[in-house]
Order: sequence, then C-alpha cells, then structure tokens
Amino acid sequence: MQVRLTQRLTRAAVALTAMGLAGFTAQADTVRVTVAYYSDQTEPYFKKMAEAFEKANPGHSIKIEMVNWDTLQQKLQTDISGGTNADLAIIGTRWLLDFVKDDMAEPLDGYMNPAFKNRFIGAFLAPGQISGKTYGLPIAASARALYYNKEQLTKAGFPNGPKTWDDVVAASKKIKATGSYGFGLQGKEIETDVYWYYSLWTHGGEVVGKDGKAAFASPAGFKAAALYKSMIDQGLTQPGVTNYSREDVQNLFKQGRVSMAISAPFLAKQIKKEAPNLKYGIAPVPMGTANATYAVTDSMVMFKNSKFKATAWKFLDFLFTKDPRVAFTSGEGFLPTTKDEAAAPQFADPDTKAFVNLLPNARFAPTVTGWEDTAKAVSDAMQAVYLGKAKPEDALKNAAQEANKALGK
Amino acid sequence: MSRTAFGRPLLPWLLILPSFALALFIICYPVYNIVFQSVHEVSRFGLIKGFCGLDNFRKVFADPIFIASLWRTLWWTLGVVGGTVLVSVPVALILHLDFYGRGVARTIVMLPWSVSLTMTAIVWRWAFNDEYGMVNVTLQRLGFIDAPIQWLATSNWAFPVEILVGILVSVPFTVTIFLGGLSSVPGDIYEAARIDGASTWQQFRRLTLPLLRPFINMAIVLNVIYVFNSFPIIWVMTQGGPSNGTHILVTYLYEKGFRLGKPGEAAAISLVMLAMLLCFTALYLKIQPKAKDGEGA
Amino acid sequence: MRINTSKFRLSLICWLVLSPLVVIILFPFAVMFLTAVKPAEEVFVYPARWLPSVFRWSNFADMWDATKFGVALKNSLYVSLSSTLLAIAVSIPAAYAMARFPFRGKGFYRQFLLVTQMLSPILLVIGLFRLAAMIHWGEGNLVDKHISVIVAYAAFNIAFAVWMMSSYFATIPKDLEESAWLEGCGRAKAVWKVFLPLAVPAMTVTAIFTFINAWNEFAVVYTLIRSDANKTLTVQITDLVAGRYTVEWHQVMAATLLATLPVSVLFAWLQRYLVKGLALGAVK
Repeated sequence: MQVRLTQRLTRAAVALTAMGLAGFTAQADTVRVTVAYYSDQTEPYFKKMAEAFEKANPGHSIKIEMVNWDTLQQKLQTDISGGTNADLAIIGTRWLLDFVKDDMAEPLDGYMNPAFKNRFIGAFLAPGQISGKTYGLPIAASARALYYNKEQLTKAGFPNGPKTWDDVVAASKKIKATGSYGFGLQGKEIETDVYWYYSLWTHGGEVVGKDGKAAFASPAGFKAAALYKSMIDQGLTQPGVTNYSREDVQNLFKQGRVSMAISAPFLAKQIKKEAPNLKYGIAPVPMGTANATYAVTDSMVMFKNSKFKATAWKFLDFLFTKDPRVAFTSGEGFLPTTKDEAAAPQFADPDTKAFVNLLPNARFAPTVTGWEDTAKAVSDAMQAVYLGKAKPEDALKNAAQEANKALGK
Repeated sequence: MSRTAFGRPLLPWLLILPSFALALFIICYPVYNIVFQSVHEVSRFGLIKGFCGLDNFRKVFADPIFIASLWRTLWWTLGVVGGTVLVSVPVALILHLDFYGRGVARTIVMLPWSVSLTMTAIVWRWAFNDEYGMVNVTLQRLGFIDAPIQWLATSNWAFPVEILVGILVSVPFTVTIFLGGLSSVPGDIYEAARIDGASTWQQFRRLTLPLLRPFINMAIVLNVIYVFNSFPIIWVMTQGGPSNGTHILVTYLYEKGFRLGKPGEAAAISLVMLAMLLCFTALYLKIQPKAKDGEGA
Repeated sequence: MRINTSKFRLSLICWLVLSPLVVIILFPFAVMFLTAVKPAEEVFVYPARWLPSVFRWSNFADMWDATKFGVALKNSLYVSLSSTLLAIAVSIPAAYAMARFPFRGKGFYRQFLLVTQMLSPILLVIGLFRLAAMIHWGEGNLVDKHISVIVAYAAFNIAFAVWMMSSYFATIPKDLEESAWLEGCGRAKAVWKVFLPLAVPAMTVTAIFTFINAWNEFAVVYTLIRSDANKTLTVQITDLVAGRYTVEWHQVMAATLLATLPVSVLFAWLQRYLVKGLALGAVK
C-alpha cells in the first residue's frame, strides 16, 4: 500500500512537471519549507513529499524545517526580520493579514488557473483570501465539536449526547453526583477565548461586528459568560478552570474525569491510542439560540522574497493534488479542503462525517489586524470572570475597549 | 619588597583585551538593535515603520499591566534572591564541614542546577497540577490536606509557588559560590582564633563573614540580575496569567514582542529593565565598605 | 577502620538539618524517574499513582531514537566544552589583571562586564540572529553553525568567570609569586609555576559554572540552530513538549533525566576541589 502510494505520488509529480513549464532551463533550486508540527506523522509526510517531488524534478531540492506551533510565530518573525525566512511556510490563517500588511506574502492568483481554484472547497479557500487576492492555500482544516463520554451521558439521560446548553447543565448536575466532572472548561493558554466563543456564537453573539468593531460585549456575550461562570460556581466543570489549557482538559476527558469537552478531530485519534476503552460520542457544539462551531484553517503561504518562486509554486501545486492531500489529511485527522479529497473513502468514517456535517454553521476567525490582541483581551477578561474577579459585563466591556484599540477602531 | 610597576601599565590592558573584545563583539549589535527598535515604530516582523521618538516609552508607561509587572518584578527578585541567600549560607556552611557522605550531599544539592530551567519549570508545573500532580497526591496521602489545592489556577497561590521554584533553582549556584569562597579561607586563622578563646559564633562573624563578603556580594548581584531576567519559570507555569496576575517585566515583554507583535514596545521595556539593573548595581556596589584593591566587588 | 564517633555524630546532624532540602530537591527527580519508567497508558491514570505497575525500561531506548538523543548529546558536549574552554582562556588573564594590578580601567571594565549580564538572552536573541545572518562563513552565514553558539556562550560567561576567578585570585597571597620572582624566575614563569597551580580550584569552579550554563542554555541555541543534526539536548527535549498536541511525557522525563547525568557526574567528580585551604596547602 505504501509503495503504491509513493508510485502514484511520483507519477503525479512527473505529470505535473511535464504539463507545466516545459523548456524551462533546469537551475538547481532549493526550496525551503517551514512546516508546523501536528503529530509525529507530519515530518515523515513532508519528507516523503519532498522526495517524490525531487525525483520528478531532478536538480531541484526541497528542504523541510519543522517547528512547534508554540514557537512558530516567533521563529517566523525572527527569520523574516533577519532576512533568512524560507520560501514557503505553514501559518495560522488568522495571522495572514499581518503578513499581507507588511507585504511579506506573495499573491498567488497569478499562478492559479480556474481549474486549480476549483479544486478547493470554497468555504476553506475563503479565509486565505484578502481583498480579493489569494495569499494562503488551506493545508489543514478542522472544526470543533463536543466530545462526550457515552457511559456517563447515558447514565445522565442523554444517550446521544446533549443538544443544548440546558442539556449540558442538566447532565453535569447528574454527573457531579457520581463524583466526576461534567463539562470540561478551558481557562488557560491559546484558544481560551475561542472556548468562550462557542458559547457566544451559540447564543447569537458575534466577536467582530460588520463595522469592524468588537461586538462581543453584547447581551448575548453577557449571557454566554454568565452561563460559564454559573457552571463553574455550581461545580459543573472541573475546579481550577484557569489552570487548564486545551491539552489539560483533553487529558481529563481521556481519563474519564470530565464527561464533555469541545475539541477537534485529532482528539479522536488520541483517544483510540491512549484510552482505547473510552466510549465516546461526537455531537455538535451545544445550542443556545443558534448552531455554530469554530472552523480553523492553516495556510501555506509563499514569501515575496523567495528566490525560487516558480519551483516553490510547483511544489505547492503538487501538494494540493489528490493523493498528497488524502495522505496528509487522513494521516493527521483533519478535514478535507479539496473536493477530490472529500470524496475519498478515508473520510467516510462516522467521526469525520460528524465534523463535516457541522461545516455549514462554521465560523472562522475574522481576518482582522490585531487578532492576537483581541484574543488576549478576551482571554484575560474570561479568566477574570472565571476567577470571580470581575463581573461579565465589566470584563467584556473592558476587553472590547482593548480590542477596539488593536482593531484600529 | 614592592613591585615595580611594569613601565606604564600596558600589561593589564593587554590582559583584559581578549575578553573585552569578545564580550563587546557579541553584545554590541544586539544592544544597538534594541535601542534602535525602541525609538521606532516596528512591525511584527521587524520592519521599521518610522521614527517615533519616545512614543513607545510613553505607551509602555501608560500601560497598567506594565506598572503592575514592574512592581511584581521587584517582589519576585526580592523574594527569590532573599530566600536563596538565606537558605544558601547555612547550607554552604554545613557542606563545608567534614562529614560522612559530604560528597553525596554536595552532589544532591547541586542537582537542580543540572536540569535546564525550562525543563524544571515543566516538571514542576506538572507536579503542581491539581488533578494528577504529584504534589497534591503526596500531600493528600500524607494527610496534610483533604482536597486538592488549585495551585496554579490563581495568582495568589501561583506566584508564591513560582518564587519557591525560583529559590530552589538558585540555591545550587549560590551554594557553590559560597563553597568556593569558604575554600579560600585559610584554615590556620581558625586555629589562632580558637587559641585566643573565640567562640564558634565569633569565629563566624569576625572571620568567616568578612572573608566571605566579596563572594556574598557576587552572589547577590549576580542573582539579582539573573532572577530579574528569569523567564522560563513564570512563562512555563502560568504564562504571566491568569489575567496577567503573574507577569513580570521579562515575560510581559516577551508576550508584547512575540505574541502581540509589538517589538518596539518590547525593546522599550528591555531598556527600562536595563536601566533598573544598572541603578541597582551602581547603588549596591557603592554602599559596600571600601574593599582592598583586587578583592571582588 | 575505626569509625570516628564524633564525625559520625556530626554527620547525622548535618544530614538531619539538610534533609528537608534534600527531600524537596529529590522530589522532582523521583517524579521524573517514575514517570520515565511508566508505560504510556499509566502516565495519566486516575487516581494518580506514584509507582508504575511495571518498569518499562524500554522507554529510554524509545526516547533515544525519538529525540535523536545521541546526536544531540554529542552537540551539547561539543558546544559546552568548547565554550567553556574559550571563556576560561580569555578570562584567566583578565581575572589575573583585576586581582593583581591597580589600573585605571578596572572599575569601568567591571561595570561593563556586569552590563553584559544584565541583558537577558531573550532580549538579545533577535539581534544575535541578525548578526549571525550578516556574517559570512563557509558557504552561507553563521546561522545554524555551532561556532556562533560557542562564541556567544563564551562571551556571556566572561563576566561571571572574571569576577569569580579574580575574587579567588585575590586571596592567593602575592608573596608566593614575589618570592619566586626574587629567586630569579621571570615574572611569567613565576605565574606559571607558582600561581597557576594554586589557582586550579578557582578555575575548576568557574569551569563548572560555565559548562553548566552552556549545557542548559536554551534561547540562544533555539534561535541560532535550525537543523536537527546540529541541535543540542535542551532544544530537542523542549521540542518534545512545547506546543504539541500530544506529549509523550514518559519520553520527555526519560530524556531530561539522561540529560542531567553528564553534569551531575562532572560535578560529583569536581566538587572535591571545593575543600578548605587547598590553595594554602602549599604555603606550609
């Protein structure tokens, strides 16, 4: 199976090259790619892609450098300011606007023909486009859903998982009586703000309004924050919320200490490996007045200062054909971003289907400048609320002021 | 017999030249870079957007989180350095005595130093986790507490915990300095003092302490500098949170520079920190009794 | 062998007094060790347990491969030893000058060295990177080359080395060299034959410090070194933890433990130089 895959990849690469720039004098281009770590499959995957490409394009080489997410932004910033950045890099799409503002990212429209554009599922390509130009191609996509512990929830009367926040509260009360915790709430580190947005969005609120200003200090926002705080106060979540990062909450879920947690597709893979006896289910993010979830894409961008743009583009093109995409997405547990992939049998399993079904109601991080500042302002506010240091109305109003400064309003 | 000066003292200058040149070379450009960035508007990626004079400094001083972090940094430094010296002096004295297993004891005391600061912080953060951390498990097993304590969830608990970890990792370095100093104290003076009828305490106060003073000064000044700038412990354990409750200047500037994308303000904060340390060392060294030529500090 | 009873009693007291500190110090190491030998599924078991059900020593072997430990170890040793030698080499003359000569630049030099310490590597790291990127070396620039890290470490450690050694040197009485000098040795020879042997404890202690600082340093290596083949232990181990979706804690702990061994061994061997009056033994 592996061998066949490699053969097909090589054939695909050769075909592309043949179709592509015939008559192009072969220079020895070295394309450097900064890749973010997703799992221990990531580096082997990219190395394999690099080899396949090099075989089909003799004389050119691809160098892969893998970096952890925690430090990816810092590394990229350091590299760029030192003029030694790679040619291609994976970035969080939410950072894209900063790159474009500083004129670091190369617009890709000139390289794409309509057929190429058509490969993509529109909803995933959109976040990578700014002011009508495409800068980032969606290399990884995921959405978020509620994982629930089947045993605990069935005992609490919800064999198919909770549907609304009221369900969550009711189930948690029953679970609390059995000695473990109901709803896992993240209060620390990256995406603390997003964990609250689940509640905000499902109560009909918005993070950034149509006028570009912070819109989360609204009645929906106050309700959403009050809901979480009351859950903490009633002991329906794990104690010490502000000490729990996403990984910590997931660990609790895997241990069976917490019965509900909102997370991404890769958690299913982890559970199968680390807690194989845990029976879990996947449900949409609980509903308040609306259905919603958070979808994220990571993009691959080309840097404007790359000296090997043509070859870098060829590699990009190769990566976004069917076989490389299927291999990557299924290996990592992400969601397909191209139409060809989506039809592949690997994505027909119930877990993936559960996530894919949520996409119609998915929200992406808005493409605004200063998203990090907004995220920090909201995270700080939520931490204050969880600790009881501030009331939701005050904390959110403050955060909105801070965010508006960063949003430039 | 007095030494004749070696012509005009060219020799000492030659002797310090290699080290001076090396140190200068390494810090020159980075310092220039920081100063430059602090007076310019700098984009996330280091692009210079324009000269802005003291604007970065103004923004920084108007920031309440900065002021809070500044005070907290003072508490942090005082707590860690004070605690370290208080623990290290008696420990060094004990480890200086001749007892069985001294080599083992010395090696154990310096063990925290053999682990990188980042890893130490990671292990302690894990140990202090309220659900599965070993600290709570052990305390509960021993019956000291009934329910797990949320160590890192609030800054009231987290900050003292971080200070304790800071002390733990600073003790080995300080103890070793003191041991080095104690080993330079000639043994016969104690003989003479004992013959003269001095008690152990008097020997300590009148003989040991003064001879140790240059080493104590070195330990204090260097510890203050290192602790003031110490990044991993607080960053790994709480990232300066929750709600900015454990931020010290260096973690705050890291967040500003690398997460929030404001290198200009981060550079301004760095210069403020440098200025504070310069003041401290200048004052501290000034208030020391005049040392003989050649003695440390 | 007769057991010296008063020494025995002293030993008991000393160990008793030291015991709280010893327990606190050994606690994280116990956690690390026991986690390192747990099977992966038992790391997060609830309720948390101290002891593993079975000692999975193979974790160490797995970890070795996963972190490319052998290569990283070699790199760490190379970088730490080289920077230590370089730092000591340039600092000895400076320390000697500070201890023996009254010269006008002394105060300034001392202050300058202190200033080099005040700038945390976090602050300097971007500047250092740019500097390395600007300098040509071999095929490219100084990024991802060990020499840049070695030079940077040596420079950062000069302040401490000079200060420590000069404080120590000052306690070595001048008469020893002077009498050798009087007896007809040249000045340089006097230093070599009389002074340096007595300075060995100071140089040893300073070398220990510098080595340990280099061994554990993270920020500079992290910024300057990029390829796996060149990374040191601190970076490889932290990479296992930072920002990963799943952290293999048993491997992380195993790696950390092994990484502390060289330093502990070094210190255990060298700590006997920290003995009273070693310098003055020669006087008698």
